[in-house]
Parts: sequence; structure tokens; C-alpha cells
Amino acid sequence: MSSAPLLKVDNLTTHFHTSRGDVQAVRGVSFDVRPGEILGIVGESGSGKSITCLSILGLLKANGEVVEGSADFEGKLLTGLSDKQLRTIRGDDIAMIFQDPMTSLNPTLTVGEQLIETILAHKPVSRSEARKRALELFDLVKIPSAASRLDNYPHQFSGGMRQRVMIAMALTCDPKLLIADEPTTALDVTIQRQILLLLKDLQEELGMAIILITHDLGVIAEVADRILVMYGGMVMETGDVYDVFESPQHPYTTGLLHSIPDVRSHTKQRLTPIPGSPPDMLRPPEGCPFAPRCPHAIQQCLEAMPPLFERPNAKPTVHEARCWLHHEEAPKALQSIFDAPEVSNG
Amino acid sequence: MLHYLIKRILMMALTLFLIITLTFFLMHAIPGGPFTSEKMLAPEIEAALNAKYGLDKPIWQQYLSYLQGIITFDLGPSFKYPGVRVNDLIREGLPVTAQTGFLAMLCVVALGIPLGIVAALHQNKWQDTTIMAIATMGVAIPSYVLATIALYLFALQWQLVPTFGLDSWQGYILPVLALSGFWLSFIARLSRSSLLEVLGQDYMVTARAKGLHPQTILFKHGMRNALIPIVTVLGPVVANLLTGSFVIEQIFALPGIGRHFVLSISNRDYTTIMGITIFYAAFLMLMILIVDLLYMVLDPRIKLGEKAQ
Ligand SMILES: Nc1ncnc2c1ncn2[C@@H]1O[C@H](COP(=O)(O)OP(=O)(O)OP(=O)(O)O)[C@@H](O)[C@H]1O
Ligand code: SF4
Ligand SMILES: [Mg+2]
Repeated sequence: MSSAPLLKVDNLTTHFHTSRGDVQAVRGVSFDVRPGEILGIVGESGSGKSITCLSILGLLKANGEVVEGSADFEGKLLTGLSDKQLRTIRGDDIAMIFQDPMTSLNPTLTVGEQLIETILAHKPVSRSEARKRALELFDLVKIPSAASRLDNYPHQFSGGMRQRVMIAMALTCDPKLLIADEPTTALDVTIQRQILLLLKDLQEELGMAIILITHDLGVIAEVADRILVMYGGMVMETGDVYDVFESPQHPYTTGLLHSIPDVRSHTKQRLTPIPGSPPDMLRPPEGCPFAPRCPHAIQQCLEAMPPLFERPNAKPTVHEARCWLHHEEAPKALQSIFDAPEVSNG
Repeated sequence: MLHYLIKRILMMALTLFLIITLTFFLMHAIPGGPFTSEKMLAPEIEAALNAKYGLDKPIWQQYLSYLQGIITFDLGPSFKYPGVRVNDLIREGLPVTAQTGFLAMLCVVALGIPLGIVAALHQNKWQDTTIMAIATMGVAIPSYVLATIALYLFALQWQLVPTFGLDSWQGYILPVLALSGFWLSFIARLSRSSLLEVLGQDYMVTARAKGLHPQTILFKHGMRNALIPIVTVLGPVVANLLTGSFVIEQIFALPGIGRHFVLSISNRDYTTIMGITIFYAAFLMLMILIVDLLYMVLDPRIKLGEKAQ
């Protein structure tokens, strides 16, 4: 865990220019991804998880812009690269898979063609060699009777199989980093687990790093090494998964942990457990973005943005939380809420 | 595939048979014969003419012999021009109609689709606004108005092009413009909206995330999908243009099929009316079949002749 980071995101700030003003989707996000680790990013809908990752790869819509900050991949500054330069990295060193395998594959091309074109875009190989590689990849992601399936169209696959195709496509060039944006959210519960375990297996086999975006803290607990909790376009808490689950240092994280859906009710449940709604990103509050919904908010929270406070006793992995209650002058009574292993807030 | 094709062709034959039957009996239900005209013919001459063209026979017998003719691609004699067969009229008018129609179609496809792409790629910028302003006018102004205005300005006022006929290449400009104006604008608008919709799809983000070349992304992933709704309307458009617009041929005095058709109606030239109607119907059905086949090539989700899953 001491090797140099693969990806270093620093103060990343992304705005969308709209007719109603600038949507501040990502507001100064910083984090590292180390080689071979799985970093889980959680947060409610609209907290900026996807946009953070799309910003890194320069995949924003035309009205989106990285206005500040940087993303550095193996010493290369991604945020300064031209689209042409980024093309050599996308799909090669950094690959991405998306939430909905139903809509993420081109319906009018065979899945084989969609794999082969990716290989040909990055490797100086012949078509038949690319096809051979595509077959290997289908075997790798455990698609049965791979040879005949290559010539099928996406609509001839089930959701889970399509996500396997997406994963195979992402692995064409042995990426060092795979960004998986809610890869299981759109799938049946039973399939979700299979895909997740496949990702975990592949990560161990191929040694790549993964950024795993999810709504599901259960998923993070199962596969991730570290966790990044996002809210209102900012990092609220980050640390080793074990540390964060064991002793969350932020009221928002606490709220999320209390809302893990009952495993017995096999329903797809989104994380909207904490009363209230997320901030308007057109005019985000000056103070803590979580303040309107936070049960412990004090005057200071409304007035100024809390910085990230590092937890003093943490293990080698840094454990930080963006909450005023960690300030030395904060009321001691409130500080103690983070001490107890189980916190009740409501 | 072959099975589907045979089924489709049989269906076409049946439809055509119904159209033939319907037009035949409708024509014969109209009071007055082809030889009833303003200058009264002597009864014995009219009877002789009726006998010559078989109009004195019972109607079902006429019908059967007409069908028999059609099976051998013979549309019968024209009632108006002695010694001329309907086949000759079509053969004579078709090159003119097909030539202008083909040029108009070329304009629609080779200009309409690229203009739509340019507009979509520059959404809400000046290129888009300009193209869409012109295209909106193009679909709003009827072709005969456009033809008349163009004729007045370019042929009469400025004398840049001839007022009628196709003797020089300049003669083609106005008819082709008038003929293609509406569909060109229509296809430009449709291409724009179709491509914009496709550009917003998830698989376009996937294509970018794979590091593909922008041109590959636009054409192989974008246009291939955006073409599907365009091809759907292109079939009838092609049929419409290649068979010519009656009005446009009239305005520019072009000796095409359309003119024969209009004349045949006022002349009560029954066989010509029926012949051209059947020719149009067959052509339209053929175009629709071609479109459906093309559709299947473009969109693998469409399994023709099979039930959707
Ligand atoms: N093209 C755009 N124009 C304007 N605002 C946008 C655009 N794309 C995203 N946003 C805004 O950016 C913010 C962050 O969106 P993002 O997609 O990163 O959320 P997310 O955390 O991935 O949510 P989800 O869990 O729903 O995927 C949201 O408020 C969203 O409305
Ligand atoms: S800073 Fe204040 S409002 Fe924000 S999470 Fe901490 S206590 Fe709650
Ligand atoms: Mg998202």
C-alpha cells in the first residue's frame, strides 16, 4: 500500500454551463488510486460520482468543463491533454464500463465487431488476431460458447451477459485502471453478485486497479479496499473500508450506513434514507452542503465550508472527514458521537 | 430471408391485383365512354370504335382480357392516340421523369443528409440556425409556389435559365430544385433530429470511452443508427420523386409521365389512366420492399417476417 499512486486527482472542479447558470457538479475533489486497489465511490444520486470520472477521461458533454484542478495518471497530466492524446489512453490504460448494459452497447453492430474495433484502435494487429483476442476475452469473462456468440448482436444477450461483454470490451488492452460506474445497478439481484464477483476475480487475476462507483454500501464492503463518500460534488469522507465502516467520522456516512437495505427484502433499493434533499448545484451553499439535513449541525456549519479533518489515530491509510465537529473548538458533547462504535441519530 | 422475400412478392402481387381490379371497375363505373366527347361522333362510328377496342363485349370479358394483357406487361392501347399503346406513352415519358427525379433524389440524399449532420454537430450555433431556417421555409412553401417564384426570378427576370424544356443542362436546374425542395428540407431536418438523438445515447459515450477515432464514432456508431428513421421515409420519397410531380412537369412543360397522366384524365383516356396508376403502384411497392430490406441490413433488431421477441 505504499507504492506511488496510479491516478492522482487533485482539487478537480467541473462545471456545466447551462442557460440557467453554471451547474457546479464537482467541487474540488481530490483522491488517489494506487495500483491494484479497488476504490469504492458512494453517494446519493447527483453527488458528482459519474462526472468526476468522466472529467478524468475528458468524456464530458459539450457544455461541461474542468475549470480547476487536475488528474494525473502515471505522471501524465490528463486534464491538459488534447482529445487526440486522450484517445490513446481511453480504452487502453484506462477503461470504463457503465451502468446500463442495455443501452451502452451499439445495437446495430455485433458484439464481436465492437470488441475488435477497440483492439484495432489501440494495437497494431490484424483483424484475425484481434478476433482471436476477442475470443480469449469472452472466455475470460465467462461467456459460454464464446466463438458463436461473437457474431451476435447485443439484443440477443441478457442484461448480465451484456455487462460481461462490456467488461470484456474494457479489458481488451489490459487496462491499469478500470472505472466501473454502477456496473450492477441495472441488473437483477442474483446477477448483480455474479458480475461483482467476476470483477473482483478479474482484478485479482489481472492486477488492475478499479474505481467502483455504487449506491450500494454492501457492494463496497464486499470488494473495495478504500472508500470515498461524496456529497454535493465534494468528498465527505475517505479512508480504509474497514475504518470507515467501523467508525464513520461524518454524519452523512453514518446516515448511509444506517440505511443499508434489509437483505431479506430482495428489492432494488436506492439510497434515499436521510430525510431532505441534496443541494441545488446551481447555487450550492457556502457552508457544509449537508447542513440542511444534518442532525448535528451547528452555526459554524452554515457559515463556512468545513475542511477535511484527518483522524489522528488512523492506520497507514489516511482517514479523513469533512465535518466541523472534528474541529478542536467544536462542542465536546457533539464530538463524542463519533467515538461510539454504533451511533444512533434519530 | 428467401422465404420472406417470396412472401413479400406474393403479397405485392395480390395488392397489385386488387389495385388493378379496383381501378378497372371504377373507370367503368364513370358515366360516358372514352369516345363520348363534345363534338358528337356519328353513332355508327362510335359503335365501330367501341367494337375495335372491345368495349362492346360484356364487362367481365373486358376485365379478363385486360388482366391477360397485364400479365404480359401489356397495358393496352391508348384510347386517345390511335395506334399508340400505353406502354409507349410510359416508355416515352419515363426517361424525362426518371432523369429529373433521379437528380432530385441525388440532391435530397447528397445535400439533405450532410446538411442535417452539420446542423446537428453545431447545435444552436449559426450553422445550425441558418440551415434550419432555410429548411423550415423549404417544408412550409409548397413546391408549385417555389417553382413559380423561381421561374419568375431566374428565368424571366434574370434569364439565367430557360423557362421550359430540358434542351440544355441549365434547363434541369429549376425543375430539380422545385421537385427536391420540400424533401431536401424535410430530410435535412429529420437527419438533424435523428443524429442529435443518437449523439445523446449511452453507446456513443462507450464509443468515446474506447478511444475510437472521432470519425469512426460519428459515422460507424452515430450515422449508422441515425440513418434508420431516414431510410424509412426515403423509400416513399424516392418513389415520389422518380415518378415525378404532375404539377412540376406541368409548370415547366416537361414531357414526362406526369403530363401524360394529367392529359389522360381530361381526355378520358381510360387505359392510360389505369396503366399509369398501376405502374405507379407497382413502383411504389417495389421501393417500399427495397427500403424494408435495407432496413434489415441497418438494424439487426428487425427480423423481417418474424415476430419480435
Ligand atoms: N450535461 C449536464 N448539464 C448540466 N448538469 C449536469 C450535466 N450532467 C450532469 N449534470 C449535473 O451534475 C451533477 C452530478 O451528476 P453525476 O452524474 O456525477 O451524479 P452521480 O453521483 O453519478 O449520480 P447517479 O448516482 O444518479 O449516477 C448532477 O447535479 C447533475 O444534474
Ligand atoms: S459540518 Fe456540520 S452540518 Fe456538516 S456534517 Fe458536520 S456537523 Fe453536519
Ligand atoms: Mg452516475
